[in-house]
Amino acid sequence: MRATNRLLWALVAALSCALPMLAHHAFAAEFDAGKTVTLRGVVSKVDWINPHIFVYVDVKDDAGKTTTWALQSLPPLFFRGSGLTKDVLLSNKQEVTVTANPAKDGTRAYGFMTKLSYPDGHVFSMSPQDADPTLRSGQK
Amino acid sequence: MTSTIAKHQVLAPAALAAAILITAVNAPAQTNYAAEAAKNPGAASKRTPRMADGHPDLNGVWHHFFGIGTIEKVGESFVVGGAFSPKSSAVYSAPLNDPKPEYKPEFVAKVRSLYDDQVREDPGLHCMPPGVPRLGPPHQIVHTPKQAIFLYADSTGNQWRVIPLDGRPHGTDPETASTYNGDSVGRWDGDTLVVDVTRLTDETWLGDNGLFHSRKLHVTERLRRVGDTIQYQVTAEDPEVLQKPWTLSRTLTLQPDALEEAAPCVDKDAGHYVTLEHHDNTR
Repeated sequence: MRATNRLLWALVAALSCALPMLAHHAFAAEFDAGKTVTLRGVVSKVDWINPHIFVYVDVKDDAGKTTTWALQSLPPLFFRGSGLTKDVLLSNKQEVTVTANPAKDGTRAYGFMTKLSYPDGHVFSMSPQDADPTLRSGQK
Repeated sequence: MTSTIAKHQVLAPAALAAAILITAVNAPAQTNYAAEAAKNPGAASKRTPRMADGHPDLNGVWHHFFGIGTIEKVGESFVVGGAFSPKSSAVYSAPLNDPKPEYKPEFVAKVRSLYDDQVREDPGLHCMPPGVPRLGPPHQIVHTPKQAIFLYADSTGNQWRVIPLDGRPHGTDPETASTYNGDSVGRWDGDTLVVDVTRLTDETWLGDNGLFHSRKLHVTERLRRVGDTIQYQVTAEDPEVLQKPWTLSRTLTLQPDALEEAAPCVDKDAGHYVTLEHHDNTR
């Protein structure tokens, strides 16, 4: 329980820092920021579309059945000049860990991706402090 | 390959998260105009280049829409930056001080209704072209002596307008349909390019938040280059629904980077809205 609470407060901290992002595109009308799911799988497809890109992750359950999660991310115009492209996301075939806020309407395997972590430790994250320790609590 | 799906239910933190979200929905509009100005220091005091005919040269990339968000590489990782990083968020919150259009009393309830239900009603949220004037100032201008071409990489897709500068009047063909970007003609008023726009469809809004208009909409844009900036002013007149003309102003700054093609807009969200939270996409 304590560990769970730590995780939840971490989510709140992430939300506080990512405030403007969450104001974008009626996030709260569609996704449940009060819940998070953690997935492990492989990025199988990317839709590079406005108003938000979608990253698809194939997640295999213990019985070997694969479910493809459709995960909304940020507007493609945000990625301009960053070096993070559809090809970069697709070319890494390692198993990734993804956290996401699920859909409020109960649609299965549909959510907003908050963080994508690779086994070597690098991430694509909605929280700036995930890659910049100076942004962690009290060190802005 | 193993998989884990762990769901974390939230109690007290959930309430706080919800409060944060509610605050976020009501947060002031963010834009990247000030951040773009910072990329070209002293832009307004630079020399104003001119075309061979003596008019100010408007060529250049002037704005990137949705530039409030950036993706930044830190080591091998990528994180969201710009307005979303505590280090840089302040510059994206510089207020634009846009006035609100004043509607005739009989239309106030309609605006309120569209505002309340904009998650469903806003054409721009569902990939329809924003149209003039909601499209905002030009992102890039290709300027020749005879015409100015305005290019836009909008979240709803790529848009363009060809604006003749040869003094021709608006088209008079009654069969010509009204369109999202209308019929534009340009003329010079001293150093200011004045673009007059008619034949605009009433399927668009003037801006976010339910600002509908009629087919009587008439738009005038004024662009005055000062050094590496353009003072852009747009006035919407709609005598059918507005009490008086509505004017917005933007300062554009010449940008060093190219305009990139916008990805196509595909509305995958429409069927998933459960509640009516919304926000601005100020252009």
